[in-house]
Amino acid sequence: MSASKPIPVEISRANQHDVRIRWNDGHESVYLARDLRLRCGCATCVSEMTGKEMLDPATVPADVHPLSISPVGRYAIQIHWSDGHATGIYTFEHLRALSQPYAPAQNVGTRSF
Amino acid sequence: MFGRNRTNGAVSEAAILKALEVVRDPDLHRDIVSLGFVKDVRVAGGNASFTIELTTPACPVRDKMKEEARQIVAALPGVQNVEITMTSQVRSTPSETKAQLLPGVKNVVPVASGKGGVGKSTVSANLALALSQMGARVGLMDADVYGPSIPLIMGVHQQPQAAADNRIRPVEQYGVKVMSMGFFVREDQAVIWRGPMLHKMVDQFLGGVEWGELDYLIVDLPPGTGDVQLSLCQKIPLTGVAVVSTPQDVALRVALKAILMFEKLNCPILGVIENMSHFVCSTCGTREEIFGSGGARLEAERRGLPFLGEIPLATAIRTSADGGRPIVLSDPESPLAGVFQRVAENLAAQISIRNMQGELEPVVKINF
Repeated sequence: MSASKPIPVEISRANQHDVRIRWNDGHESVYLARDLRLRCGCATCVSEMTGKEMLDPATVPADVHPLSISPVGRYAIQIHWSDGHATGIYTFEHLRALSQPYAPAQNVGTRSF
Repeated sequence: MFGRNRTNGAVSEAAILKALEVVRDPDLHRDIVSLGFVKDVRVAGGNASFTIELTTPACPVRDKMKEEARQIVAALPGVQNVEITMTSQVRSTPSETKAQLLPGVKNVVPVASGKGGVGKSTVSANLALALSQMGARVGLMDADVYGPSIPLIMGVHQQPQAAADNRIRPVEQYGVKVMSMGFFVREDQAVIWRGPMLHKMVDQFLGGVEWGELDYLIVDLPPGTGDVQLSLCQKIPLTGVAVVSTPQDVALRVALKAILMFEKLNCPILGVIENMSHFVCSTCGTREEIFGSGGARLEAERRGLPFLGEIPLATAIRTSADGGRPIVLSDPESPLAGVFQRVAENLAAQISIRNMQGELEPVVKINF
């Protein structure tokens, strides 16, 4: 099995509602709750056929946050959201890609990660 | 140095442990003391006794290891007699989801193939039986919902019984617990199902069956890469998959697709098995490579995957399966049964190795 793919070691809370992932190669990433919700890749949020974003951000509450996170096999997690949405499967590959090279920040500045 | 003696001249337990540090497990590449295999070390005068607990039910070098350990301890000053008990305790793939869904099942091992017709079900049945003959507790789940052949191969003619709390008890046949879609569908009926139904079936076969305590649950998958494979990989972290292919290029290329799918889902690949490897004429003994030969071994080497063995194309394998008594059962001393037994040993060894590695990199911890 390829050992070069980074996989999470631990998934925990950052702040009150955000998600922190510690990876097995030492990398650490933090995902803001609402950003992660808007990145849901399920078939109702993103078109299966065209890849076009179908989720309208205006329909997602500003304070949306994860209620629980569960593992999907060895390759992804499933998040139950406070707005009732739960069909998104977030693969580790996708989560890692989201965190590099740019992680969403509260203050947009010239800092790079 | 060895043999630090107590004042009464007898050897100490610590000295025995120290001496045994030269004995190594051939698959795990570490000494048996640091692996925690040596147990119940006792000394009474000049009599030393201990147990070596391996992680596979029938390690092929078990006797050699026992003899090596015996000689080393017998050579210690103060030792007259050495008594060694060899036992095995199969290691489990640790996982919370598995513990919830399948408490008591230590390892879930699917058997996959790229395309149909490579003999996957016959291989699954013989492997399950071989592991059981070695002393392991084995279950066999036939997840090939469209063409369930396990009931025929295993000679099962009874229906499973209902168990407590709405679950089903698997049928025990030849010492193996069996569950199959074939038990619920008449021979003259076709199963025409779409995705969500297949997902539900996997759900049912995992959580809705009273599997009890098992060392290995072998899952005979449908051929190819589809909903059942995906559902299995999503539901629980699998110990690892064994891929069956024929030597022929075409089968290999398609088997590769299955391998890539499991790699993408982070499901470990325990190894590749080459079935229908070559044909030996039962009359004159001529060897013919009907589907080519060695292709699967080469492919496994190329991709850095373990190669679990070659199984020849032999009429006896087919007739015994058709007759509902797979060859490891109907002719256990035969060379053909021996081939399956060796593949099963290799599979058990890879499972041990995989679980050992898994202890070093456990499945992700979620602390939310």
